[in-house]
Amino acid sequence: MKRGRCKRTLQDISLYLCIGVITLFFILAIIPEVFAPFPENKRFIPYMDPDTVHFLGTDDMGYDIFSLLIYAARISLLIGFCAGGFSIFIGTATGLVSGYFRGWIDDLLMALTDIVLIIPKIPAIILISAFLRPSIWILILILGFFSWETTARVVRARTLQMSTSGHVLSARSLGFSSYQILISDIVPVIFPVLLPKFMLTITGAMISEASLSFLGLSDPTMNSWGRMISDAFTHGGFIREMWWWFLPPAICISGAIISFIRIGMVYEKPGQETMVE
Amino acid sequence: MGASFLSFHYLIRKIFRYLFSFVIILLVVFLLPRMMPGDPIANLVGEDVYLSPQKILELRSAFGLDSPLHEQFFVYCMKLYQLDLGYSFHMHAPVSSLLIDRAAWTLLYIGIAIVCGIIIGVGPGEKAGWESEKWWAHFLSAGAVLISSTPPYLLSLIVLVIFVYHFGWFPLKGFYDTFDITSIIHHLVLPISVLTVFYASRNFLIMRGAVLSEKCQLYPQFVRSLGIPEKDILSGHIRKNAIIPLITLIALDFGFLFSGALFIEIVFSLNGMGSLIYDAILSRDYPVLTGSFLVISVFVIMANILSDILCIVLDPRTGRNE
Repeated sequence: MKRGRCKRTLQDISLYLCIGVITLFFILAIIPEVFAPFPENKRFIPYMDPDTVHFLGTDDMGYDIFSLLIYAARISLLIGFCAGGFSIFIGTATGLVSGYFRGWIDDLLMALTDIVLIIPKIPAIILISAFLRPSIWILILILGFFSWETTARVVRARTLQMSTSGHVLSARSLGFSSYQILISDIVPVIFPVLLPKFMLTITGAMISEASLSFLGLSDPTMNSWGRMISDAFTHGGFIREMWWWFLPPAICISGAIISFIRIGMVYEKPGQETMVE
Repeated sequence: MGASFLSFHYLIRKIFRYLFSFVIILLVVFLLPRMMPGDPIANLVGEDVYLSPQKILELRSAFGLDSPLHEQFFVYCMKLYQLDLGYSFHMHAPVSSLLIDRAAWTLLYIGIAIVCGIIIGVGPGEKAGWESEKWWAHFLSAGAVLISSTPPYLLSLIVLVIFVYHFGWFPLKGFYDTFDITSIIHHLVLPISVLTVFYASRNFLIMRGAVLSEKCQLYPQFVRSLGIPEKDILSGHIRKNAIIPLITLIALDFGFLFSGALFIEIVFSLNGMGSLIYDAILSRDYPVLTGSFLVISVFVIMANILSDILCIVLDPRTGRNE
């Protein structure tokens, strides 16, 4: 009994910690000017070691790494959130429609989902980005478009269950429109499934963005955490073992990803855990 | 008889969908260079390639760029049918022979990583799902989540810094110095371990989740009430059901494996398919990019067909409640 409570508190602490991390990143993303000691484009002597002025030293172009790190939060979170939101929107809409209306539209949408599911994601994104040289918004669309299919499947399965349940049937017999029923009777009930999916698509988009930056395929004008690591790799940060250059953005990416996943597990009951796909 | 017919029907429908996916992939690969703004020739041969005006005219007619789109598509498919993936003007070689040269190495170490990843990941995952309340199960799951939520190249970079730059235990680049087995092993240990750890952690999480959800069903309880020992419930009843989602996801992960291999090859400077793709990205060598994308897609689709057949063999109910 006591041990169980202790575990409970531990889990609560980890959850609050993760929410804290995400909130911190959000604040950094919204008002980086307040926290960054130097503006993004101010240059100093390149390859400086960390000292009291430059907490994390400077990079090959002489930019202050700590300031870059803070400014990069904006792009990384923006891409994660917008791509995740876009993908969850397509996925939920597809799943709701095919689970609620069934019939030929269900067959059609699920066939479409299967078809998208099979396309190898990262290679496809790499190919398309190599041709289009995407700006940040195009990148968000591409990332979102290649990650909605698992959401659609989960939402469809839940909607199928829901659509014969009592409150949906009574809402239908009272003459509410399908749209009304879907939005106010089904979406709230399937929300516990949507949240982890949302968090997983955010993290997926962040990982893909970091990978694309590493290949030099994301928007060259924007500075994200992935871009910082890639710069450190191509511009000698790794050979010089300047861990203060590549480790902080790496910790930020991993920290954000783990926090998002942890927040997504809020509704999890023991025994039915989220599968990390 | 009815069941096997249903399964067969299910398989046929699946394969039909895969074919459709492949057609869509083909269409994307076909349309992307042709629909881009600018001269399609630049998008078809790659950028920064100098061609004489006469050569450009020759290529125009070879690609059939002046004929309507559907005829171009037909010509394109006929070329693919003869395994002609185009010609790389950067590498001065046909794409198909380039890919065959490089793919062997990549397939070699991906193959080793798949086998090791399944061995390392599935067993402990099953155990951790079965005894999910033990401290080591929590510990392993946390580790697996941590590893699978790092971008693939990040882990390779950290490993590279620690073991190659700092300690100097392993060589910096390439597959071998002298072509013998010890040199090859010495060069491949790090890349294979990184890929294996990644793959194992994914398999671990999938298997753990599958066992966890099977554990809560009624049939294990029933079997337990019959007095069958715990470890026989796991090995005799749960495993068979839990392995089904694993097989499906392993097949879908094939694309993930290739992209993981791509980053690992870049970081460890291995001359496989991944670095071929990377060089193609840097020099905008479009024929190589589209060709390798098609090859990867074919691999993924074949893996999926295989996994569907396996699922039907293992679980005859597949497709019955669709």
